[in-house]
Amino acid sequence: MLKGYMILSILLFSIGIVGLISRRNIIVMYMSIELLLNAVNLSLIAISGDLADSSAQVMSLIIIAIAASEAALFMSLFVVLFRNRASLDVNLFTILGGKE
Amino acid sequence: MQNEVLFAILALISIVSSIVMISAHRPIDSALSFIVTLISIAALFALVNATFLFVVQIIIYAGAILSLILFIIMFLNIKDENLPDEKYKNRWLLGTSIIITPFSLILIDLILRSDIAVHALRDEKFGTIKDVGATLFSQWILPFELVSILLLVALIGAVTLSKKEA
Repeated sequence: MLKGYMILSILLFSIGIVGLISRRNIIVMYMSIELLLNAVNLSLIAISGDLADSSAQVMSLIIIAIAASEAALFMSLFVVLFRNRASLDVNLFTILGGKE
Repeated sequence: MQNEVLFAILALISIVSSIVMISAHRPIDSALSFIVTLISIAALFALVNATFLFVVQIIIYAGAILSLILFIIMFLNIKDENLPDEKYKNRWLLGTSIIITPFSLILIDLILRSDIAVHALRDEKFGTIKDVGATLFSQWILPFELVSILLLVALIGAVTLSKKEA
């Protein structure tokens, strides 16, 4: 059961990495990052259930809090970028490069 | 036996819906299939008696974060011409999967060969809110306080970013 959970976590993490690298839509990239965090949470919870130790559950609770703050930042970033560029294409977001 | 069958069904659902999430063209489709992934992951939490994390996953992820994403997608009023024209999307997905597959196969092979399962006995109050809360406020008090500072920084950052420039 634990090995199954770990393998599922590895598969979900790989799917998230593939989505993060190969897509150019910033909302899909954001959701891939969330998928990575969820895969890590899944393996932490599985280990915590196997060891009967609730420290890993606290760790994944903190990861969920970090994901929530990340969500707030990303949402305001989407609004600002979409207002400036009228697109979700990450190739167009070159504001940090300095040249307009 | 029953748990293994449930695990297989939930694992299949989460993998299929996450593949749909990274390959859908419109962001609303990927957000809706991501909700399915998150709820099946929450059910997988419940399968190892992590009841409090199951509730937290449903409320915060599937409830708050995903409804925020859906709200933003509808608020921005995204049309097809606003989306990037990913002409070679399928080729990119295929190529990246070919690159990533060996790494995940190595990791899966390591997991299958190692002897990690301990099968410690779980008592009744494992995973309840009382148990998790006692651990959080006794051993993890410093990370908890740091998370509060992080949330404050994220709050200020979000307000500053979305402020219209005068």
